[in-house]
Amino acid sequence: MRKSLLLSTVVSTMVGAALALPAAADVTVASWGGAYTMSQQKAYADTWKGGKANFVNYNGGLGEVRTQVEAGNIQWDIVDVLPHEARVGCDEGLFEELPRDAFTPAADGTSMDDDTMVSVPNNCVVPQIFWSYVPFYQAGTFDGNAAGNPKTIGDFFNVKKFPGKRGIHTWANALIEMALMADGVAAADVYKVMDTEAGIDRAFAKLDTIKDHAVFWSSGSKPLELVSSGEVSMALAYNGRIGAAVLSEGAKFVTNWDGQVLEEEWLVMLKGTKNKKEALEFMVHASAPAQQAGQAKWINYGPMRKSALAIIAAGEPWFNTGVNIMEHMPNAGEAMNNAVFANPEWWADNGDSISERFKAWMGQ
Amino acid sequence: MATLENTASGPLLTADGTPLKVSLARSLRRSKLRGALLVLPALLFLIIIFVVPIAQLLSRSVDDTLVNRALPRTFVAFESWDRQSLPAEAMFEAIFLDITTGEKYTIGKATTRMNYEKPGWRSLIKKSGRKFKKKIKGPPYRDAMIKIDKRWGDVTFWQTLGAMKDPQTLGYFLNAVDRQYDANKHVIMKEKERRVYVMLWWRTFLLSLIVTVGCLAMAYPVAHLLATLPLRYSNLLMICVLMPFWTSLLVRIVAWMVMLQNNGVINSTLVWSGILDDENRLPMMYNFTGTVIVMIQILLPFMILPIYSVMKTIPPSYMRAAQNLGAPPSLAFLKVYFPQTLPGVGAGVILVFIVAIGYYITPELVGGKDGQLIGNMIAYHMQKSLNWGLAAAMGTLLLAAILLLYWVYDRIVGIDNMRMN
Repeated sequence: MRKSLLLSTVVSTMVGAALALPAAADVTVASWGGAYTMSQQKAYADTWKGGKANFVNYNGGLGEVRTQVEAGNIQWDIVDVLPHEARVGCDEGLFEELPRDAFTPAADGTSMDDDTMVSVPNNCVVPQIFWSYVPFYQAGTFDGNAAGNPKTIGDFFNVKKFPGKRGIHTWANALIEMALMADGVAAADVYKVMDTEAGIDRAFAKLDTIKDHAVFWSSGSKPLELVSSGEVSMALAYNGRIGAAVLSEGAKFVTNWDGQVLEEEWLVMLKGTKNKKEALEFMVHASAPAQQAGQAKWINYGPMRKSALAIIAAGEPWFNTGVNIMEHMPNAGEAMNNAVFANPEWWADNGDSISERFKAWMGQ
Repeated sequence: MATLENTASGPLLTADGTPLKVSLARSLRRSKLRGALLVLPALLFLIIIFVVPIAQLLSRSVDDTLVNRALPRTFVAFESWDRQSLPAEAMFEAIFLDITTGEKYTIGKATTRMNYEKPGWRSLIKKSGRKFKKKIKGPPYRDAMIKIDKRWGDVTFWQTLGAMKDPQTLGYFLNAVDRQYDANKHVIMKEKERRVYVMLWWRTFLLSLIVTVGCLAMAYPVAHLLATLPLRYSNLLMICVLMPFWTSLLVRIVAWMVMLQNNGVINSTLVWSGILDDENRLPMMYNFTGTVIVMIQILLPFMILPIYSVMKTIPPSYMRAAQNLGAPPSLAFLKVYFPQTLPGVGAGVILVFIVAIGYYITPELVGGKDGQLIGNMIAYHMQKSLNWGLAAAMGTLLLAAILLLYWVYDRIVGIDNMRMN
């Protein structure tokens, strides 16, 4: 998701630029493309009576948002952002602050902000989903392996017991957390350890153990190709990509939830948009429990609102193909046994310097 | 007509009595102006989409006004600080007032900038901003601030202010070559673990060089063939050259993946034919080798076409004449043919090198851990980290490197000798 499938992005941005010149009061939403945008289209846009929402694809980051706001030339009304961007953009005044009482409370009257599974960082953001970095492999890969199938995050980092290459991404997020968990740090202590220089050294030392076996990927579809083709025996991927392959295409992938790192996804409104009223209406609609739950009919990213999870659990089989979806959710049930919520405050502080160190590590 | 006959006495005059020289100059000026008007749209276009953005980019790379604007009092107090010991109460008071009275977004933008100098500034100021107003009612500030967050007592945070005190900075350029300022604005190396850009510069140049040499080695014979074959064969060959050129970049990359990966066509064939055993498949994808192979294939037409266009103009009789005069074929090639192709070679080399140096999508897709180049870092800092100053500095260095190359080329070969087509 962080860098969605390059091909689809490039192609659809070009097509989008050529075709999708939205009419005046249409709301334009920049999102990540692929199955994820499709789920937003079906769950939010198709059910919205207030107007028309057009989706355009983008590749993440605030570069384009900052350009639009600084130039006063707003093309996107709403953007689907990662946790780091959600904070930095609000701090820098790139996003509108939104009236919190405009949003739909849960059925029992709990306000949206209290209904959200993590604390809401500022008044600019509206809850979307959780997605996660998670290891997976193709069923059958480890047949006949003395140690059986890998189960834990430690197994992902153990190339002796579980031979084969490992597909990992080209940036540091989640890898630091996973390396520490694989090295025996309890999920709850991960960020305490990461706050120390020694803790970071420890994480890199653990990463060293798989470096010579690593195949790096940068677009979200890549790890699936790597695992399918046998190029690697295990890979980290966005859980929704694995889920889409398993649920909709019948792929035989096995997800190991142990040691997963969950990331937030928020909606924000660009500061200075002319369609403020319509955009707010759309955001209210998209963040209501019913729509949040509706999205899970199309993709296995977990709604941030607890009440939405309750709706799904009560409505199983919920997925559009008629199967249960809760067991594929990153933020419910057994998946949460040994999991970490990525700490955006830590990454906002240390992301740049860790990123340099990670690139240096990759280049050595 | 009278003027023409009137050659003996005085200057030539036109029918209306103005001297011919003046009249001619006037009409020339008018036609020049008309000509200029025709170029005007292109010129404006160039200025707007090329010159202005580049100028802005250059200015971004040295601009450092954000923090100055956000913390005016602090930098006044900074001047009277020894930069070694923990600052005195006055400086604490200054930064307290700057943070609590400053405009929210100005502070927000400044913290992003400050965090480049030392990780932690962002959360320190953000958290403090919330708590200061609630918990600190008035002076003295120093101990109260350290109580709220002990990092205020950490002199290394204060020292980084030294790097940000001037409205212009070379800090981004320093960062782009793994260096930084210390508290006294002396240039020092970055910590060992964070040195990454110098390595990436070398890799970028090395890759571009290898790709350029590889392209030249392959393009030269092909171009020669194209230029000398009979038309019906050379047309077919030309289509073979241009076909991939017209094919989508991503399609070509994916095709190479199918060919080169571990279980790809080449490796499987080698294993099947017994040349390799299954354990020792050649790693040709997701590394430097893969990047070089794919980039050479992609950039090959940029080398073939300029060389071909020059070779086409060389009459075959020159070579025959050289051989007639007794030169063996190799000498005739070296002394007669090759020098005449140099303008095309020069154009091809410059073109391929310049395109290669800024390439980043292809290396990222096929290069694995070796696929990170300066281009990727510029994109990363533009889109993700929002460190536009650093991105601008790297872009400027890249531009400077290309201009330098251009200059060297001009000195050695001469730009006028270059022929694009």
